[in-house]
Amino acid sequence: MGLFRKGGQTGRERRAMKDHLNELDEMRRTHLAELGKMTGEMASEGRFDRQKLSEQAAEVVKIDREADLIARGLEEGLTLQELEELARGGDSGSRSR
Amino acid sequence: MRKGALKKKQRQLEELLLDRREALGELVLGMYVQNNWDDDLLARGSAEVAEVENELNELIAGNEPAGPSTTEKDFPVTGEHRLPSREDYPETGEYTAEHAIPETGEHTAEHSLPESAEHDYPPTGEYTAEHSVPESAEYTAEQPLPDPPEERKLSRAEKKREKKRRKEQERKEREAAAAREAARTAAESEEPRTEVVQPAKPAGPEAEKKPAPKPAPTPPSATAPTPSATGPTPSAPAPAAETPAAASAPAGEPEAPAKPAPESGKAIDVPPPPAPPKPEPTDPLDRLEKQIEEHEAKAKTAIEAAKASLKTDTRTELSAITREVETGRKDLDESLKKAAAAIAQAEEKAAQAEAKLLRETAANRESAAEWVRSQAAEIEADAALAAEMSSDGGKSDAGPDPVTAARVASLEAELAAERASKEEALTKAAARLQEIEHNAKLAEARVEAAEQAAAEAKKQAEIDARTAATRAGADKAAEAESREAAVNWLRGQIAALRQEIAKDADKEPGGK
Repeated sequence: MGLFRKGGQTGRERRAMKDHLNELDEMRRTHLAELGKMTGEMASEGRFDRQKLSEQAAEVVKIDREADLIARGLEEGLTLQELEELARGGDSGSRSR
Repeated sequence: MRKGALKKKQRQLEELLLDRREALGELVLGMYVQNNWDDDLLARGSAEVAEVENELNELIAGNEPAGPSTTEKDFPVTGEHRLPSREDYPETGEYTAEHAIPETGEHTAEHSLPESAEHDYPPTGEYTAEHSVPESAEYTAEQPLPDPPEERKLSRAEKKREKKRRKEQERKEREAAAAREAARTAAESEEPRTEVVQPAKPAGPEAEKKPAPKPAPTPPSATAPTPSATGPTPSAPAPAAETPAAASAPAGEPEAPAKPAPESGKAIDVPPPPAPPKPEPTDPLDRLEKQIEEHEAKAKTAIEAAKASLKTDTRTELSAITREVETGRKDLDESLKKAAAAIAQAEEKAAQAEAKLLRETAANRESAAEWVRSQAAEIEADAALAAEMSSDGGKSDAGPDPVTAARVASLEAELAAERASKEEALTKAAARLQEIEHNAKLAEARVEAAEQAAAEAKKQAEIDARTAATRAGADKAAEAESREAAVNWLRGQIAALRQEIAKDADKEPGGK
């Protein structure tokens, strides 16, 4: 039992994290492509709306953060619960800041 | 441009467009992260994306783009990216299989052979199986037997009829062989009886009892001979040619049956002629059928082997699982034993603590009683002393009312002594109370230690049970319940001890 455990993480959790990481990667590419498309459209109009670009870029940054968290969980063998706590801690830390 | 090339180019352009859009997105993201916006850079990136987009749109619209494509612009200007055209092939000796074959004697399988493989054979005696069979009597199984000239003329339907006829003949032969075998066995079983039985005797009940295993036995009559096993059968007429003569001997002649008996025995002893060897099938269908049968047999054998191996594997796996379960059970038993030992230890500790507490309480009571007795004795002694002193004073002084004065003085002295003693008792009681409190604290600490030991034992038991439960989870609930019950019991014991300590602590200051 527990042959494929890494730290407190089960094999299922690790697989789920990997899948989610792949999804996030795909989502990031899609968002980046949308961002590029939006930029091209703005260039054709002759005006760059930084607000919109920032919003879209913020989405990508969020995805990056989540991907970093998942990658850390995979690297350190954290369970989903620990990861959730870590995320909440990060949230609270960012809120407290 | 060909349609395939156009599609390929379109696909390349689509991929390039996606890549460039992503790159532009990355650029915007970088600007957002660094909060350093550069509109010029954005415009240039957008222009590159727009260039690819325009080219793609033109291609989709059907206009072939003139000039170098954007997909080619991405390659470095080294000349390595573009293959040389047909005109400027390098002057080397290297040619791939796609080019013309050099004028050498080497030919690969992709090119046509110089001549056909079906050429005349050298005038030697060597012939392979793929060529026509030489005119000899030696034939291997791989080559078709040369058909007789008259058979070659047979049509397909005639061949089928011939095949059917042959099969029927084979079937008949098989049946005849089976009948002969059955007759032989029946005759063997009947032979001793025929020696005893009179030949004149008609077919009796004994003969009726043992009919030969024939498909249609002749009904026994008074004049007819006993049904012989070697008698003619409807399906096997050939070998039974002699037997009716033997069986149909006249019933009135006593010597007659003795003579045919050895004849019949001789006929039986003769082994059936061996079945003619199965002729090699000439028809390709027959050969195919034979091959299919062989393959089926092989497949059946393989299936049997696979089944056997599967059974063996299953058994091995089952035994492994059984072993694992047994190991898990052993571990569980061990952990349960450990848990029981830990609980027993905790119980012992609790009992020891209880006994010690009882002893201390008894000692405290005893010391308190002793102190009370000593106090009473002191008070009595003081009272006696005071009385003595007052009586002495009464004797020496001759006051106006000496008795009253003495009484007053004695009362005052008694009062003072009592006050002093009370004060002293109070101070001692306070000290004693402090001591008892101290003792109670010590007892509480001991109880806490016992509780901690019990908790550790529980934790240890939990850890052991968890490790064991991972291997064998069948008795997990029962074990957890028993553990919980033990822990609950321990808690109850500790609570009872605490209550007792509290009662003792309450009693002692009040008893004073």
